[in-house]
Amino acid sequence: MWCPFAYTNRKYKLWADSISATSGFRFRKLGESRVFFIVQYKQLKEGAGMPWSKKGKLLIAMASGIVGFIFVILLKSTGVQGVQTVRADTSIPSLVQTEQENQLMANDNEKLRQELSQYKEGQNANLLANQQLLKAQINAGLNEVKGSGIRITLDDAQTFSNTNNDPNYYLIHEEYIRQIVNWLWNGGAEAIAVNGQRITSTTEIFCSGSYIQINGTRQMAPYIIEAVGDVHNLQSALKFYFWDRLGEYQQQYGITRRLEVPTETITIPAGQLKKFKYAEPVKGG
Amino acid sequence: MRKKVLAVSVTCVAIALGFLISLSIQTQKDVEALDLLQSQRLSSVKNLLVAAQADGTRLKEEHNNLMLQLDQARNQGGTSPELQAQLDHYQMMDGTTAVQGPGIMITIDDRQQDHKTVFPLTTDDLMAISNILKFAGAEAISINGQRIVAPTAIVMSGSTKLINQVPITRTEGMPYEILAIGDQDQLVDYFSKLEATGLKQSGISVSIVRKTLQIPSYKGSYSVGKGS
Repeated sequence: MWCPFAYTNRKYKLWADSISATSGFRFRKLGESRVFFIVQYKQLKEGAGMPWSKKGKLLIAMASGIVGFIFVILLKSTGVQGVQTVRADTSIPSLVQTEQENQLMANDNEKLRQELSQYKEGQNANLLANQQLLKAQINAGLNEVKGSGIRITLDDAQTFSNTNNDPNYYLIHEEYIRQIVNWLWNGGAEAIAVNGQRITSTTEIFCSGSYIQINGTRQMAPYIIEAVGDVHNLQSALKFYFWDRLGEYQQQYGITRRLEVPTETITIPAGQLKKFKYAEPVKGG
Repeated sequence: MRKKVLAVSVTCVAIALGFLISLSIQTQKDVEALDLLQSQRLSSVKNLLVAAQADGTRLKEEHNNLMLQLDQARNQGGTSPELQAQLDHYQMMDGTTAVQGPGIMITIDDRQQDHKTVFPLTTDDLMAISNILKFAGAEAISINGQRIVAPTAIVMSGSTKLINQVPITRTEGMPYEILAIGDQDQLVDYFSKLEATGLKQSGISVSIVRKTLQIPSYKGSYSVGKGS
């Protein structure tokens, strides 16, 4: 008679042995694994005069049937690995994103509506367009910006102190400047210039060998990054791992990483007018 | 003596059986409740998402309508064409107007695949990509619908990437879609030589298609000229 109990453990083997000694259940080892099945039960020899009654056999058969059934149900409901509560909920990030986009779109629409109502109130169209023009001019970085801000100086190491090291550690790379500019924008900078080159929407900061190309001009070390904005916010924005890493490079390899908060106002020069050859504005959209 | 042993073992078995049955019922109940909760939660999020998307399309229609009305108002108001052209030019520079023109569409797939290891795209990669495109003379760039302008910051917030403070991480479809308007040959050439090779070495799939594109406007705000 088979019973769906399986023992995989040494402890259970001992237990199984003691059971078989007292009750007459016999367990069999299955192959090389330590799995034991009850394969049969046997009357004890001394109790030959007292066989299991038919009713008893039936009861035991029923009991094992029920146990097997329950076991299967349990396995089915929980899975082989147990209850799995983690189900990737993919909708939440896209929900957040859609709502953010909606918010921005609503703000934009509100602006347009205001403008439209100004037209409807009979405001001079040219005057309104001029106001917009001035705003766009400032946003596009075509005006000089003055204000309080911070100045960061990055410079290559003056000497290669250890020639065994990668010479790259002694130099300032485009990535450093790009990262710092990115984090300064993140800190709410109003305007940024690198070596006097205003950073605009289309400004590249691209390494071309010994110099870094910015706005199509060649810039060499030292690189002076100036940003106008809230001095406190700009400084906190710099507190990211990259800034610390530059500090380590400064100590180990002798590059320069200097942060100044000048008391005088910083002047960020105006950017160049960009000519568009390919792009044109979409009307009515 | 034999009867006693039998009685004890039968009792034990009965207790164990009872315990098992109650455990099984309890587990079944828990699992059902959990399933119900999960499906409720999922459907409520789905509903919200559908509502938000409907809102989005409504807002877009409204936006188009307003733009048309505004154009009419400008024409009626007699804005001089020169002034309008200059305004358009500046607004293309600051990215506050949507633009169209020839360009390239780059789709990047950094999802894990069975047959190879993929190193997912980082914010540094996104910065490098937009930088290369600017270097190649792109006149307008967007990443997952976010226009790249001067004050654009690309940062991580938890496991989500933010561009212009908007989460751009996608859970369905292509993870990244980057649009750039400019000289198509130059854009393809620079991007494929300077950036795509490295990405492919990280196991990321990159495809570049030349097409005529529309790039959305920057919807965030400019802080320049506000105080300080």
